[in-house]
Amino acid sequence: MSKPKTKGKPSAGKAAGANRTRKWLKSLAEMEYKKMILYPLVVFLLALILLAVNFPILGIDLQGGVVVTAYGVDANPDQLAKDLSAKLGVDVRVESFTGVDTKGVRVYAPVGTDPTEIIQIMRETYPDAEYTHSEVQPTFGEIAQKQGLRAIALAFIAMAVVVFLFFRHPVPSFTIIFSALSDMAIAIAMMGIFGIELTTATIAALLMLIGYTVDSNILLTTKLLRRKEDTVEDAYLSAVSTGFTMSTTTLGALIVLWFISTSQTIDNIAIVLIFGLLADFMNTWVLNAGVLKWYLSRAPRGGSA
Amino acid sequence: MKKRTKRLLLNWRVLLLILFLVGSIATLALKPLTFGIDISGGVALVAQTEHPVDSDTMQLVVDSLQKRLNTLGLRDITVEAQGDQIVLVKVANVSTAEQANQIKAVIESQGVFYMEFTGTIFGTGNDIEYVGIYQIKPDNSWAVPFRISKSAAEKFAELAYGKVGWPVDMFLDPPVNSLMVVPDSVYRLMNSTEFNAEAPEAPTLMERIGKAFNITVVSYANQSADEIAKLAQGKDKIVLIDVPQDLQNELEKMNLTVRYIPREPGESDHQIVVKALGLYGPYSLGEGLTVGEPQQDVQITGSAPDRLTAEQEASTIYTVLKSGSLPVKLTVVGMEFISPRLGEDFKNQALYAGLAALIAVLLIVYFHYRNLRIAIPVASTSLFEAIIILGFAALINWNLDLPSIAGIIAAIGTGVDQQVVITDELLSGEKSTKITRRASVLKRMGRAFFVIFASAATTIAAMSFLLVYFVGTLKGFAFTTILGVLIGILITRPAYAEIAKYLLGED
Repeated sequence: MSKPKTKGKPSAGKAAGANRTRKWLKSLAEMEYKKMILYPLVVFLLALILLAVNFPILGIDLQGGVVVTAYGVDANPDQLAKDLSAKLGVDVRVESFTGVDTKGVRVYAPVGTDPTEIIQIMRETYPDAEYTHSEVQPTFGEIAQKQGLRAIALAFIAMAVVVFLFFRHPVPSFTIIFSALSDMAIAIAMMGIFGIELTTATIAALLMLIGYTVDSNILLTTKLLRRKEDTVEDAYLSAVSTGFTMSTTTLGALIVLWFISTSQTIDNIAIVLIFGLLADFMNTWVLNAGVLKWYLSRAPRGGSA
Repeated sequence: MKKRTKRLLLNWRVLLLILFLVGSIATLALKPLTFGIDISGGVALVAQTEHPVDSDTMQLVVDSLQKRLNTLGLRDITVEAQGDQIVLVKVANVSTAEQANQIKAVIESQGVFYMEFTGTIFGTGNDIEYVGIYQIKPDNSWAVPFRISKSAAEKFAELAYGKVGWPVDMFLDPPVNSLMVVPDSVYRLMNSTEFNAEAPEAPTLMERIGKAFNITVVSYANQSADEIAKLAQGKDKIVLIDVPQDLQNELEKMNLTVRYIPREPGESDHQIVVKALGLYGPYSLGEGLTVGEPQQDVQITGSAPDRLTAEQEASTIYTVLKSGSLPVKLTVVGMEFISPRLGEDFKNQALYAGLAALIAVLLIVYFHYRNLRIAIPVASTSLFEAIIILGFAALINWNLDLPSIAGIIAAIGTGVDQQVVITDELLSGEKSTKITRRASVLKRMGRAFFVIFASAATTIAAMSFLLVYFVGTLKGFAFTTILGVLIGILITRPAYAEIAKYLLGED
């Protein structure tokens, strides 16, 4: 069916460019499956420990509070926090941020503070700034928290059911589900380290992660289980090359997004996805691959999905 | 070669893509996109009812809020119920933070209005269909005419039969299901005929509010906070009137809801009762209403010592009747204000970010395959996908907010992933051994689409819960993600597969 080669076919150019990666991938392909399973599990446990000691801070939309954002303000956040705290009589926290064409600060104040008062005080020093504010009561924060948890739990279960329906084998299905769980855990642990708040937006990003990370796992599992004309190593290499292309394009797009946007919502969604995708590199191509190798070596005729 | 091109263009999958693309561009040209508050500027408020309500009540809340905000002269208002306790109010074209706060105050000042007779609630604010202009007569008596619903009129006619001069009470935000702790003098007053209009034989105010609102009144006799807490079991809140204020702190420490009402200088027992209960009246029942005939057009009358007081009393009742039409109390639990200028910035940024991400995809795909014949179709298919999603959003008037835009980006991200899967399956035919080559294009495509459908199904399954269960702004995110994935698997992915087969010479 295939036609004779025409010029500019990708296989030739690619091989020249990515020799070192190839070698590394080859060593991955030949790695012993016990190690492949062990290392990611250690990372997962580390993430869990990190989560236990340093869980990300809840954003104001999940625990209540007031935030005033001023755009077009170039201020020393510590000094501003001191000034505002003194004038308002409550402790405020100030964070500065830089976008492509604008600088600004975000002022976080406890529940019950009047945002218009903060704006009034700031207007005295920065009359030309553009202000926005939002405030959330703890009761609503609680509702949002509960719903966030419920959304994640249900989405996870739904994903698990769909994966199971598609593959119908407990070991591969369970590994995909576990990979997604580990991706999420690592992403949340990274959020804790980098001080990214858990908000409704980042919860959305975590849910999105389910979709993204399951992609590459499904690809790998499909190739390894369904592609019987190749050896396991060859199938793995072919899956890895596709998977890396997938992940790098997505990562590239997300990094660009993160750089350009000054919207906190989009920034946070992008960064959490970046964390998750990085974690997924390991969980798919090392952990899941290791389990599948072990699974296939144990039951050579196992995959008929 | 020409024949192949023609065959590609006439392929139904490619035709479908072209059709949708043209349709979307036409839609976008005729019907511009509408943007959410976080882009167009404005204020978004999340209000919560004091307890969960059924869907009929929720609809009443939505309707009356809409009406009330309309009368303020605001434009572009959407009021939307989410679940059984949350109402989302969005008002565009709000340019200052102060204006935003005013809207919040209006929503919160909406009272819950009850009409009560002999301890039975016969109507609420929603039964008031019309309020007429009040009149003041030369003898300083006043009258506020209004019309109540048929069902309230019928209920009232039955209750009021033969009870000339009995008290009719109206309440705005009474402390429903509460324990009231009052000084002994107030207790005795409420238990007397003071509030009985011209009918000493009618139940006392204390009996009426007990039956109608489950308000229990106790006389304060140096009870401890523990004793009061015990009495308040099963009640929503405790109302402390003119008792030592320490009690409030102690009770609040026990996680109880407490409202403290101090006595203002010179305030009488009568005044403090009226204030604590939000009581208007009692009004003495006129003879015309006691014959058992339902009457929808009724009026409240009263008399005052001078014209100014008469005017004040009448206008208060007028306002209460007119605005106190929410079936349940609302509290604003969250608000977000974005100035219109800033929104414009966000919109441009989202556009630039989207285009930049697209270029990034183009470059990365090019570097992977070193082949523009793959990179250009991948990037343009993603662009087409975005256009179709936007066209669809314009068609159904979906408000694009920042999360929705994030969702579009997410959908495009998975789209690129899946195109890579298709491309690699097509390419794998030629770089492998003879055995592989025997696996037909069809089989390889089957494998690619198995991966695509499995991942699309998981994304849709995961996101549909977000769409159904979440309140607030993330619905937009879930909606556009699902929409994008659906458009992807139904329209753009099959078309891309055909185009890629053509370009890579595999058809």
